[in-house]
Amino acid sequence: MSPLSRRAFAGAALASLLVACGGPGTTTGSSTSPPPSVSEASVPPPAKSVAALGRSVPVGLKIPAIGVDTSVMQLGLAADGTVEVPPIAAHDRAGWYRHSPTPGQTGPSVILGHVTVGSYGDGVFRHLGELNRGDKVVARLENGKSAVFAVTAVQTVAKADFPTDEVYGDVDRPELRLITCGGPRTGDGYQDNVIVFATLST
Amino acid sequence: MRRTGLSAMALACAAVLAGAVPAFADGTASPTPVPSRSAEPTKAPSPATSAEPTRAPSDDQVSVRPSGAPNTGEVTPSSGSATGGLIGGGAAAAIALGGGVFLVRRRRANGV
Repeated sequence: MSPLSRRAFAGAALASLLVACGGPGTTTGSSTSPPPSVSEASVPPPAKSVAALGRSVPVGLKIPAIGVDTSVMQLGLAADGTVEVPPIAAHDRAGWYRHSPTPGQTGPSVILGHVTVGSYGDGVFRHLGELNRGDKVVARLENGKSAVFAVTAVQTVAKADFPTDEVYGDVDRPELRLITCGGPRTGDGYQDNVIVFATLST
Repeated sequence: MRRTGLSAMALACAAVLAGAVPAFADGTASPTPVPSRSAEPTKAPSPATSAEPTRAPSDDQVSVRPSGAPNTGEVTPSSGSATGGLIGGGAAAAIALGGGVFLVRRRRANGV
């Protein structure tokens, strides 16, 4: 092999190496950017207290700011002790965790929904992370009443650091937690959870 | 005498072995109840869910606290990172092929 061809071979090998690194490199670059958004805005909620509602199971949920209008199913615990999630379907819906207070009762009422539903595309809570403080969330109850909440904070947290106390812990007024997934995708799911905190406004 | 002693020892060994077989049988039989026992705790939450209204006046507002983070995002099998890898790999293969063609042409030009 002549020196010239050896140089050409070395050049080709270097070029292929650079391209091979470039492919995954772009994706890792995009996945490293989300982590700084760990805590978006945990603003103290408004001081005014609203009278709690009686117990009534939620049957519907509306979030006008992100175009959500869905029925609400009931969720329990999965066999591994984690909270159940709604089934993966084309038109998925939100689910209320039945061991939490009903929306409007004193305590943290927990409603979950998917951000994406696999090959079906976007989930019902696809744009949950775009909510802002003050946005309205309306839970329609089985007794015909509605519980209207105002968003107080939106957090994106790593699943490994899921704030169990903050989400499920006791509070002294009617509150709502909307939970979905978010952050960078890995092979088998998302690395983060998006949690919306809201308090009863009317 | 010695023969009777030996036969007595053989008999004793046989007795020990005979005794050991049921012991092994018990040992192999005992693991089967274990899965049925482990299956019981998984059933335990379901009575709890059916008894939900009675659990409501418990100390905590969330009467049964879930463990870990909820899995609320089903991703598609062909995610963005996978296609990125494919594109990168394809480009690398194309460039390597181009390099090979270049080498062959150089070699032919040199007449080696």
